[in-house]
Amino acid sequence: MKKIISLVLVALMVLMASAVAEGITIAVVPKSLDNAIFLDSQAAAEAKGEELGINIQWTGSPTSDAGMQVQVIEGLIEKQVDGILISCNDADALEDVINRAVEAGIVVGCFDSDSPNSNRAFYCGTDNYAVGKLAAEKMMEIIPEGGKVAILTGVLGAPNLEERIRGFKETVEGTNIEVMPVQTGNDDVQTSVDVVGQYTAANPDLAAWFFDGGWPYFADPDALPEVKAFMENGGHIISVDTCEPMMQYVGMDMVDLLIGQNYPAMGAIGVETLYKIITGAEVDLGDETHYIDTGFELVDKANYEEVWATKTPW
Amino acid sequence: MSQQTNTKKSGGIGRILSINGVGIFLVLLAMCIALTIAVGNKFLSASNIISVVRQFSFYGILAIGMCMVIITGGIDISVGSVFALSGVIACMGITKWGIPVWISVLMGLAAGALMGYINGACITWLKLPAMIATLGMQSIARGVAYTVTGGYPIGSLPDNFKFIGLGTIFGIPTPIILMVLLAALAIFFLNMTVVGRRIYAIGGNEEGARISGVNVNRIKRLVYALCGLTAAISGIAMAARLGVGQSTAGQGYEMDAIAATVIGGASLSGGSGSIIGAIIGAAIMGVLRNGLVLLDVSAYWQQTVIGIVIIAAVALDNLRHVQHK
Repeated sequence: MKKIISLVLVALMVLMASAVAEGITIAVVPKSLDNAIFLDSQAAAEAKGEELGINIQWTGSPTSDAGMQVQVIEGLIEKQVDGILISCNDADALEDVINRAVEAGIVVGCFDSDSPNSNRAFYCGTDNYAVGKLAAEKMMEIIPEGGKVAILTGVLGAPNLEERIRGFKETVEGTNIEVMPVQTGNDDVQTSVDVVGQYTAANPDLAAWFFDGGWPYFADPDALPEVKAFMENGGHIISVDTCEPMMQYVGMDMVDLLIGQNYPAMGAIGVETLYKIITGAEVDLGDETHYIDTGFELVDKANYEEVWATKTPW
Repeated sequence: MSQQTNTKKSGGIGRILSINGVGIFLVLLAMCIALTIAVGNKFLSASNIISVVRQFSFYGILAIGMCMVIITGGIDISVGSVFALSGVIACMGITKWGIPVWISVLMGLAAGALMGYINGACITWLKLPAMIATLGMQSIARGVAYTVTGGYPIGSLPDNFKFIGLGTIFGIPTPIILMVLLAALAIFFLNMTVVGRRIYAIGGNEEGARISGVNVNRIKRLVYALCGLTAAISGIAMAARLGVGQSTAGQGYEMDAIAATVIGGASLSGGSGSIIGAIIGAAIMGVLRNGLVLLDVSAYWQQTVIGIVIIAAVALDNLRHVQHK
């Protein structure tokens, strides 16, 4: 009896090993599992995985935390996945573990948020500095007379958000736009709504807001009476992100312009590029820094209905 | 010294405003005066005051339940996750499962109370430390919230649900009214009922309370269930206020609730604390955050300032208390 059980176990192990060996597994690791912004990347990565006939493992830390993300990558090294596509919470903190994964024979690519000094094969995503720069240029067009502009950000220190702020500030430097001290909503919708409401009400001479992420627009329009009043009284808002719930705000004139990152492209291009590297196929890794630009989309009153029709309802 | 002891000595108004409460109220008053001098009407405008009170009312409701737990000498770090899951359940009931609003809200409330009761059961039956039991529940509740929503926010909520968080009664936002009503109920419960007084007794001397015939375990389960219930009320009110139920809501709110309770004079070793103090503690946090926004303090400095003010507020109150003795 023992022999039969041993034989069955060995046979099962051989079967499992061959199954693993046959299929390519790519782990996709967002900044956190609690950020709905990555859902479009997940859907696109999984669709691309199905198209290519490979396994996609969507995994990550429950919240945005570089330390926990390091542990997730260490687990994936132990599991010996073939590829890892990661959005880094901290460029430097993830550098060492990415290099260890590469040494272990795993191909690593970054999406959304890069770790440029690591040995990752490529980064596909948005040039966040360019997003801030673009927002500033559009702001100068919207308020040629200049004035005070407030900035709302999320978690302080996130490299992508800091780059957007830097791009915005450096572009408006020396112009008639006065940038007010940065305010944070800590990636929390309620805090963002309250901070924007209170700051707007307290600064009647404020000309515009730049939201470097769209947190307030995840709430219901009824929850933002201050924003509505601000826009009705001649204020202006430019916001990053073009998620589905945000589209209604363009139609309601509660935001002038949305600048969206292409999250589906990041998921799909990231997985496809990793697959090509793993299988030894010819691959285009962009410029000398191996940066693949997934571009961004602009949404305003003129095209929001058209863009909205392409979005998966939340 | 427990609030109960204080109240027995002082009576009347002092029965409600314990010595701890008065001290910390003076800190709040000083902050309000300083802000009024610094920014004037920006702080004192009706819209700003309502905004601040509405903002901290959610933390205040959380702090009511947390205060009772801390009085027993326990801690509940699952309230942020329970807050999220209860809000999500109520919203999903309405929009995904087609259940009437009031039943969906009751489901959310029941879920919160149940999760709190399970916390209490783990602590009293399985003899787990409160920190570990509620840490586990923090993860479980958050995980269930992610799972049932798939990470997506739940929107398109009807107006009668949104009234819970966005409505006004006689011009006062509903979350503020909710906080005041719940605080009044909790003050009555803690000070005027036998069970309430036993809650203080357990925190002051658990073994003594047990020997004198108090069913310590049953009261602890009740207190954790009430803490879960207040987290659920706050979470549902927040989902209604934002018009969206989110699995990510309430992250870190447990720390704000604990901070508010301790600022309000509660001792983490149990036996002392007051609901009024906890609400004032939440108000201090709210006024502080509002003040930093109004004073145009950069977000990069705000966290540091908040930490300094919390320590200074409690230290000042402690010093005043020592001098009083």
